[in-house]
Order: sequence, then C-alpha cells, then structure tokens
Amino acid sequence: MKKTSFGAWLATFVVCAAFWMLITLSLDPQMLIAGAAVSALVALFAGRFFIHESPFHLLNPKHLFALLGYALLVFPIELLKANLDVAKRALSPALPVNPGIVKVPSKMKGEYGQAMLANSITLTPGTITMDVAEDEQGQAWYYIHWIDVAEGTAEEQGDAIKGTLEKWVGRIFE
Amino acid sequence: MEILRYVSDAFVVIGIFFAFAGTVGLLRMPDAFCRMQSSTNISTLGLYGAVIGGLLKAISMIVEGYELGWTMLVKIAPIGLFSILANPIAGHSIAKAAYQHGVRPEKEFVCDAYGEDEFDD
Amino acid sequence: MTELTVFAAIYVLLALLCMIRVAKGPSVVDRAVAADSVEILTDVALVLFALESGRGIYLDIALVTAILGFMSMVCVARYLEGRL
Repeated sequence: MKKTSFGAWLATFVVCAAFWMLITLSLDPQMLIAGAAVSALVALFAGRFFIHESPFHLLNPKHLFALLGYALLVFPIELLKANLDVAKRALSPALPVNPGIVKVPSKMKGEYGQAMLANSITLTPGTITMDVAEDEQGQAWYYIHWIDVAEGTAEEQGDAIKGTLEKWVGRIFE
Repeated sequence: MEILRYVSDAFVVIGIFFAFAGTVGLLRMPDAFCRMQSSTNISTLGLYGAVIGGLLKAISMIVEGYELGWTMLVKIAPIGLFSILANPIAGHSIAKAAYQHGVRPEKEFVCDAYGEDEFDD
Repeated sequence: MTELTVFAAIYVLLALLCMIRVAKGPSVVDRAVAADSVEILTDVALVLFALESGRGIYLDIALVTAILGFMSMVCVARYLEGRL
C-alpha cells in the first residue's frame, strides 16, 4: 500500500476544511480549530485514496483555463445536444432505439484523463461507459453502451461518441 | 431585478421539461440499459436546470438586499458540483453490475463487444 | 414567490411517476435506477422548497440525500457484482 505523500495530505485537508466551513457557515475560531483538527486527521488516513497522481496539476494556469473552458463552454453544449436527442427519442411515439455495446479506442494517458473522459461520456445521455480495459500495447479501450449504434469501424464510432470532448480533456491532462 | 427572476424561472421550466422526458423514458423504454440512458436525462439537465435556476434566484435575492441569498448561493452550488462528479460514477457502476449480474434485453443487442471480449463462454 | 411551489410540486409528481417503475420493474437493476431517479427528483424539490420558504436547513438535507443516494447506488452495484 502506498504511503500518503505530503501533497496528497494537503489537498485532502483543504477539501475537507472547505466542506466543514460550508456546512457550519461560521467564522468562529472555535469552530475553525475543531474543523481543522478533524480535517487533518481524516486527511492523514484518506489522502492516499483521494489523490493518486500529482495533486497540484490544476494549479498550472494553462490547465486551469482549459478546465474552465471545458466545464463552462464545451461540455454544456454537448450535454444539451445529447439531452435533446434522448428526450426526443423518449417522447416520440415510435420509440426509435437501436441499442448495442461498442468498443472504441481512447488516446488518453494517465488515470485522471481516462477517468474524466469516461465520466464525461457517461454524463452525456445516450452513452454509458461500462468498462475500461488496456490491451498488451498499452492502448486503452472503452466499452460503451450506446442507445443508437451507428455503423462503421471502431475509430469512426469513437469519433461519433467522443466528438470534441477528447481533444479538450487531452488539453487539461496533457 | 424582475428580469433575473424570469430568467431563473425559465431555467427551472427547462429542467422540468427534461425531467418529464426522462420520467416518460424511464416508464416506456424497452429494456434496463435503455432505461438507464433515460434516467441520465433526469440526473443531468433535469437537475442542473433547477440548480442553475435556484442559483439565479439566490443572486436575485442578494440584489434585492436579503442576506439569506448568500447562504442559499454557497449551499446550492455544492449540490450541483457533487452531483456532476458523482452521478456518472453511479451510472457506470450500476451498468457494469447489471451486465455481470446477467441482465439482458429481450431484443438482442445490435452488437455486443463487451460480452465477446470479457465473457466468452 | 408562489411559482416555486408549483415547480417543486411538479418535481414531486414526477418522482411519484418514477415510483411506478420501482413497483413493477422486472429486475432489481430497474428498481435501483428508478429509486435513484426518485432521490434526485426529491433533491431538486427540496432545493426549490428551500428557496420558497427561505430556510437554509433544507439545503443541508438535500446535500446529505445526494451523498446517501450515490453511496447506496454504488453499494447496490457492488453487491450485484458479488464483491461485497
């Protein structure tokens, strides 16, 4: 089992303390000290589960602006398009669904990038990532349940599912 | 700030539309996996429409001079943030568990790469 | 601010509609997914009702319900996989 590094401890501590201040909503020194003590203890035990790679990756302004652009502009547009599509399918009388599980390749490197792309795909309605597997060459494959399977090779299906998401997530976790 | 209230109402109405579409899909879709896709409809825009509408309502309360708006603002934002981080994980784990548990649609999948690779019996 | 009450009531009504799927869903997965949807819809109704009544305590309850719903979904999934 990996030991908790100082960076992981600090990041977990900051998140826990912020959550404590949010719940109590007071700046009373007694509350703050109690919260800090509990957060430090929790971070000591939970840090190694919470942070796996570099904890301060997002403090680089380039990555932070890429994340903001992704979360505020690129992703909501994709989300709205996919939501309208699935809502139209559910409300139309003929119920046009064509479900299947496809296997598409992913260019992401590293745990965080993989997890973020897979979660983005799951969050857009119409596609659910069921599993992530790596083959012998280190190429990651996603198994995706898709409500309307399009014909084509794995690469073409991957482009249809991921759209612009992969480029932006790659920009955040390059 | 009357206009802010109307905009926030519009966001909540958009949320209600998508939640309604998701509920209808949950009741009408033919198999368990397609119902999951429809429930994603509820947990994304059905939720965020109302959360964004609520945030705008809290801002309009601040503008009108109620102190309570700040409490609302800092407490509604984490609900949206938590659900955008947690809901895809729940969806992914329940879909994988459903497949491994042996849930299959009545009509066959068009293609089933997962079953071919992971469970070739 | 009466329109928020109407919106919250509509969300609760949709949650009740989801209960139909909880009652009749053929497999346990259908019931779990529908129950998660019920939880999310009541969550939204709580947020709207907190804004209507002006009490912050409902928002704490909404946050805790969201966390509990996520945890219970993951627990059901792990149990079905046979890893619990």
